[in-house]
Amino acid sequence: MTPPTRRSYRVAIVGGGIVGLFTAYHLLRAGAGPVVVLERGFLSSGASGRNGGGVRQQWDTRATVRLMREAVGAWKRFGREFGTNVWFRQGGYLFLATTPDEVGRLHKVTEAVRAEGLDGRLLDATDVPRHAPALSLDGVLGATFLRTDGTLYPFPGVWGVYEAVRALGGEVCLGVEVTGVRIEGGRAVGLTTSAGPVDATTVVNAAGGWSADVSRLAGLAVPNVASRHEILATEPLKPFLDPMVIRLSDGLYFSQTMRGEVVGGLAVPHPTGTRAGVPTSVAFLGSMSRSLVRLVPALAPVGVLRAWSGYYDDTPDGFPVIGEDPRLPGFVHANGFSGHGFMLSPASSKRVAKAVMGEPTDLDPAQFSPGRFLDPHRAATPEGLQPG
Amino acid sequence: MDPAPDPRPGAGAPGPDLRSLRTRSTRYHRPRAPFCGVGYCTNCLVRVNGVPNVRACRTPFAPTDRVEVENAWPSSRFDLLAAFDVVFPHGIDTLRGFRRPAFARGFYQRVVRRLAGTGALPTPTRPVGTAPARTIETDVVIVGAGTAGRACAGAVVGAGGRPVVLEREPGAAAVDGAEVVVGTTAVFLPPPVLGRPFPFQLIASAPGGSATEVHARRVVVAVGGYDASLWFAGSDRPGVLTADGAERMHPAKRPGFHRAVVFGGGPRALEMLNRFPEHVDAVVAPGTIDPDVSRRASELDIPLYPRTLVLGALGRSRVERVRLTRRGGSSPTFEIPVDAVVLAHRRLPHAQLFFQAGARMAWRPDVGAYSPAIGACGETSVPGLFAAGEPAGAARPDDAVRSGEVAGAAVVAGGPSPSLPVAPAPEGRHELEGYYQEWLAAGPGPGKVVVCPCEDVLLPELLDATDRGYRGIEVIKRYTGLGTGLCQGRYCLPDALFVLAARERRPVPEVGYITQRPPVVPTSLGALAGLPEPGGPPP
Repeated sequence: MTPPTRRSYRVAIVGGGIVGLFTAYHLLRAGAGPVVVLERGFLSSGASGRNGGGVRQQWDTRATVRLMREAVGAWKRFGREFGTNVWFRQGGYLFLATTPDEVGRLHKVTEAVRAEGLDGRLLDATDVPRHAPALSLDGVLGATFLRTDGTLYPFPGVWGVYEAVRALGGEVCLGVEVTGVRIEGGRAVGLTTSAGPVDATTVVNAAGGWSADVSRLAGLAVPNVASRHEILATEPLKPFLDPMVIRLSDGLYFSQTMRGEVVGGLAVPHPTGTRAGVPTSVAFLGSMSRSLVRLVPALAPVGVLRAWSGYYDDTPDGFPVIGEDPRLPGFVHANGFSGHGFMLSPASSKRVAKAVMGEPTDLDPAQFSPGRFLDPHRAATPEGLQPG
Repeated sequence: MDPAPDPRPGAGAPGPDLRSLRTRSTRYHRPRAPFCGVGYCTNCLVRVNGVPNVRACRTPFAPTDRVEVENAWPSSRFDLLAAFDVVFPHGIDTLRGFRRPAFARGFYQRVVRRLAGTGALPTPTRPVGTAPARTIETDVVIVGAGTAGRACAGAVVGAGGRPVVLEREPGAAAVDGAEVVVGTTAVFLPPPVLGRPFPFQLIASAPGGSATEVHARRVVVAVGGYDASLWFAGSDRPGVLTADGAERMHPAKRPGFHRAVVFGGGPRALEMLNRFPEHVDAVVAPGTIDPDVSRRASELDIPLYPRTLVLGALGRSRVERVRLTRRGGSSPTFEIPVDAVVLAHRRLPHAQLFFQAGARMAWRPDVGAYSPAIGACGETSVPGLFAAGEPAGAARPDDAVRSGEVAGAAVVAGGPSPSLPVAPAPEGRHELEGYYQEWLAAGPGPGKVVVCPCEDVLLPELLDATDRGYRGIEVIKRYTGLGTGLCQGRYCLPDALFVLAARERRPVPEVGYITQRPPVVPTSLGALAGLPEPGGPPP
């Protein structure tokens, strides 16, 4: 355990994943310290160390395309700025449609992507082998491809931002659990932790799959739901696959990492909530293998090396929750990333830092604010491209 | 311990001679030779009939099979890509190197990407289908038909039961009254779902790329153990191998080495002396040497080096000599000319299935490993799951028989109540704790210390991580990649625990547990694809 060294901080961030660390980084860069990040487990023990490393700009909401376009720039610069290599490789993202309805959805995505000035392409099934020759085209009707999308290796992202936060004087307390949110006069004024109480002008909830629990500690009901997603990695092979491939029909996604492993997942139903821990299920191993072998028959003799699981922090509309909670001044949300927190974090955390400092952001409140779920008359348009 | 089959060269089966097979490592193309002999390490991987990463040590070959070496050009004996090993004496820093200039990003990525991976995408010369899994329902399944598993099966049969016994080796003998399923490796045992008629669902990989699914009321895991590795400069060099490897791959009469150092001072070292009396030149041990080992060695006129550090295995294409120094700090180093180092100092229990099933695990300083916490009958903290043999702490064959019989009787009787008696925690330090402390203090040996041979992770990468303040095995594993390769950490994480304990100045259990993710051994996508669809009829 690394306990906090002071009693009082300007900002206390709950969760030492990539979102919490990047938020601390942007706050410290803006001179808004002292900042403490409280992490219950070890570095990268949550979704930041369990995700598939995808980074995509293909969405059907233009605001998300824009945010991700900024994030892609940040990931490209990451090694030079933070000293560690995330090996962000822009091999593209290939979405596969197998029904006319899915082709229509991809059409809409490509329109949004192109409207933001990116080179998204709608492909016929016959164009697919050019980007991924190993795929069997059985049942594929169409696809989209954006070659500036890509994949990265998540761990060095965590190390790099962690080191930068520490170099800027931020504290990252590992093995310290937040047990309560202290409220005085209707304002969040700090936390109680397994290492004693901490005072803070602002508390940031960046607890990922556990963010609803942290909000509840503050007496706030939120619609965030933790959902468990499973993933596996195969034996490392020599490079044969450049893009990340996603099939809309069953949410199958996979890519080949810089180390050569095929890493991918597929959603199988699990009860919501984090009580199950992070086990692997037989149902996942079976469904994932069937789905992957059907699409890439040559992989049938390739061994699965390991499987694991982690938590998405899902919101009803699939958009993250960024900003101060209107019900509790001093309590800022940086959660609800619905499985896309790692890729978004360099861009989204800048906005979180601004919200902490009370500055306006460029985010549409109807899409990102915590208050959007409090409006009973709100007509929510969920993000449509949320497979897997 | 599993029954040892005849090593391939003696058995006369076709396929590469494991005594002379040479492969290359993934990143630096270092020369490698079969190391473990029991199907876990990456040193005997070959491409067979277009299928990559086939373990030669566990594969029956047909005369018509097309066997190719992977990862080498033009050949594994003369590999031009081994230039990477020479050009980068301190390794390639993929974590912090290759960051500038910005315009070279794509070029660096292509180069580093090409260095990764073992074997290329399969191009099977005969179709690889996905066979539906075979399903077995049984009261009691026993995993492992070694000494403990057979004793356990005998006890269950004696009490009127008819157990199913899964055995990884293809040639295991029958047990009267039991169904022995051979050539089948248990790879995944999720926690039982209590309340189902068959709470346990065990997944095994069977020959021919298919899966077997066993639904059982109770499970006895008697999977034995394996001989551990050791870290020193050149420990990945051809000629360094485990006692398992020596036993499985080298016929006693005509082994692939002439003069070996046996490392270890216990029963396993004695077995090596007895197996290769003509071919052992020295016995080197990290601590004291057992009296019966000393006696046998003096009969054979073999010198003993107790309390000695292995600093390096030197040589060109294989071990030519070992560099040693007595423990205690101020002793000079000395070298012995040998062509093999047989690691026989430490046997570790196979603990993956227990961990997967959710059993409480405990650090055993006497063994230097984590194993399931068990009660008097081998019962674990998971109701219905029992341990027998090496995972239950049995070190000798008669202990293994007894633990198998006791677990067999308990499993038939319905087992003792799941309230686990709290066994006194074993105390003390394993001899390797002090050993590795002194080894680190002795400084780097001659050449690279490859701590994770599967991924070619070097010792300085691990030391750099601890210098930067990263602590605990879980983070170090993710930071360095140590233990994430094809052996899933079997041959590096147990040693990493001791080295990290020394670096972090805290006891081994505080360095952390080695998470063991399914499957136990790589299992083909084709086999797993044959598992029944979810939502099918419940067992």
